Amino acid sequence: MITRLLSTVFITRLVSVLTTLFGISIFVFIVLRVIPGDSITGSLGIETGALNPEQIAALKVYYGIDKSLVGQYFSWMGAFLSGDFGFAYSNGVSVLELTKSSLPVTIQLALFGTILGVVMGISVGMFSASKPGSTRDFAGQFFGLLALAIPGFVLSTAIVTIMANVFGYFPNGYEYMAPWEDPWMNFQQMMFPALVLGIAVAAPVMRTTRSALLETVDKDFIRTAYGKGVKHKVVQFKHVLRNSLIPIVTMTGIQFGYLLGGAVITEKIFAMPGMGRQILDAINKREYATVQSSVMIFAIMFVMINLITDIIYRRIDPRIK
Amino acid sequence: MKRKKLAIAALAASLAVGTLAAQPAKAESTSLVIGSVLDIDKLDPHTATNFATVRALGLVYSSLVEVGPANKLKTGLATAWQFSADGKTLRLTLREGVKFHDGSTFDAVDAKASLERILDTKTGAAARANIATITSITAAGRYLTLNLSVSNIPILAALDGVNMAMLSSTDIAAGKVGGTNKPNGTGAYKYVSWEPTQSVKLSANADYWMGEPKISDITIRVIPTEASILSAMNAGTIQFGIISDPLIAKQVNSRNLKLYKTPALAYYALQFNNKVAPFNDKNVRLAVQCALDRQEVINTALLGQGAVTGPITSPAYRSSTTARACPKADLAKAKAYLAASGKTDVTFKTLVTSTGWATSVAMAQNIKAQLAKAGITMELDITDQATYVPRWLAGDFVATLANNGGRIDPDTMYTRYFTSTGNLQKVATYSSATLDANFLKGKSSAKTSVRTEAYTAISKELEDNAVWVWIATPYEYRVTAKNLKNFTALATGSLLPLRSASLG
Repeated sequence: MITRLLSTVFITRLVSVLTTLFGISIFVFIVLRVIPGDSITGSLGIETGALNPEQIAALKVYYGIDKSLVGQYFSWMGAFLSGDFGFAYSNGVSVLELTKSSLPVTIQLALFGTILGVVMGISVGMFSASKPGSTRDFAGQFFGLLALAIPGFVLSTAIVTIMANVFGYFPNGYEYMAPWEDPWMNFQQMMFPALVLGIAVAAPVMRTTRSALLETVDKDFIRTAYGKGVKHKVVQFKHVLRNSLIPIVTMTGIQFGYLLGGAVITEKIFAMPGMGRQILDAINKREYATVQSSVMIFAIMFVMINLITDIIYRRIDPRIK
Repeated sequence: MKRKKLAIAALAASLAVGTLAAQPAKAESTSLVIGSVLDIDKLDPHTATNFATVRALGLVYSSLVEVGPANKLKTGLATAWQFSADGKTLRLTLREGVKFHDGSTFDAVDAKASLERILDTKTGAAARANIATITSITAAGRYLTLNLSVSNIPILAALDGVNMAMLSSTDIAAGKVGGTNKPNGTGAYKYVSWEPTQSVKLSANADYWMGEPKISDITIRVIPTEASILSAMNAGTIQFGIISDPLIAKQVNSRNLKLYKTPALAYYALQFNNKVAPFNDKNVRLAVQCALDRQEVINTALLGQGAVTGPITSPAYRSSTTARACPKADLAKAKAYLAASGKTDVTFKTLVTSTGWATSVAMAQNIKAQLAKAGITMELDITDQATYVPRWLAGDFVATLANNGGRIDPDTMYTRYFTSTGNLQKVATYSSATLDANFLKGKSSAKTSVRTEAYTAISKELEDNAVWVWIATPYEYRVTAKNLKNFTALATGSLLPLRSASLG
């Protein structure tokens, strides 16, 4: 009975995930075709005007845009499902090759940013919630508001400008180094963009932590714990924080997913060769295969993160089935 | 407690100092790192249109002629040239002892194969139209003869640049050009590697026909924002920056940096669609021309970084900026032209690219504010560059603010726009029998006086009819480390002068 129920849940979940991914693939495919321009104008710019019809026809075949829209979709989707993500013409390599170098950068950056953000957010949130309405609460909330209000590009530009002009320090001006090539250089190139992203993550995490803690701290079982003489720190970490984790984990999951796809500006300012830049450049050049395949990779990762978040829920709260 | 805080502070300080002190070693003195917003997009010089590709491959390949300082034509792989009396034959004498990077020798057969590859429509060469008058090519020893369908003197200038690169005939025959094939040119630098979205690496060519360059290695690194390029230069991480935003150029104030500012051949223009209302009325076009203070656009949107221009920016035939209906803004005259058109107020939409160049939207906003004073309402239709381009190509606009490239010869610069058969006629939206005749006159004569007369007449017709409103030419900026010696900035934006530069 239980096995049948579980398999029904699993199948429902799988169908929902596949439908979502199919919907995303259709949406991205159509949006890219609706906006004016194509791979030819994206690549040649105004020089497209110098091409004769023969040349245009040849280029359409080259870019694979000579087929019908349905043909183009199934040709791309079929190749994608077999592991061929297409060719990034403006980079002279396959999208898979391009993604192999850019995806680790984005994942590392998002991980560092999320870890920093969660550490900062939970610390400040706990600090703030420990004495509601006090100066420390005000200071904590002010931090949250400030972190939300300062746009990432302003913070990034300020950090880059100050570090370069005042201290003559800009490690991101050097060639990007992967952690396995030069861990120290990689750390230096990662720390400032991760800090910028971490601050952006810290704000919502801090606010969520604060409100979740304040809600939990009034619960009967907390009063009982204090009544039994359990130490304040133990109550805070073992009972209050643990029982407030569900919204914090949800928020962290959302923010992590957001960082995976939304660190474009930070990647640009700090010259990080990540996925955000890859997609933005590809959109500007109307490189359909690169955009479609990269977005699908993001979508799959997002779905996976949601799945992991669900698993974490069950670990935190065994009542969730 | 105090001790604990002190320990934390000391740890933080040591981490910060450690991080700053342990900066990576800076590049060796004979290595140059260039910061560029754009990455290259291909390795085939004949089909290259992206500025970054053109700049990088310009160091790898050579052409028959070159544009030197002061925008004068000079020898390249051709050391001399001679037109026949009727201008229909061009004979070039090729340089001896030139070697490709693979060690093979360059000769007239390679030159012939290269030009034939450009002429082949299957190649999709960017500059094919500029040499389309070639009917046949003969290679004999050191001599290359181009037979032309019509007298075409400007074809000589058209032989300059990456799009006219000389390739090995063996590579062409084997189909080893572009794609993933290693570029094999005769240029100052050999291609080493290209890591997409990150960098292109080049090394000095010891057999270069002008002698081995002093800078041993060049890395062109992609740094996606100009502000970050300047930061990297201030930090000493890179030694050469390619900048286009005047705001960034104005921030170059370090003692260790040098800013090169060269008037560009490119120009900004408010293009009208002469075929549709309200700009199918010459008086409306003239009203806009008279209402606009070009210097104000330069002072505000371009932060003073530019020069007022007429249609032709080619140095030898530059248009006069006073030979126009309103050399300076004249609101009374603008209103008089509007009255003559029978309209009391005019409203139109202008297509503007938000990402095409740094000052585009600021320029459009300033123009809009200026025209409002004359009772002309300009609405802005702002879009990204990739959307802008197809609309521009299709002439899908009432007006558009454009940043168009210039050439050192007016023929290659404008025949494609303003002749009745030009491939950008749909964009120009204006042609006439007199313009066709004057372009033919300029193309056919080797005499400077005749050509000046033809291009002055073309410029006058374009201005008198306010076909477009030509506004300004921007500057090309190059920021270099102070120790980069013997570098000359060119209006074409080419990096070729690095072949003579050194890091002292």
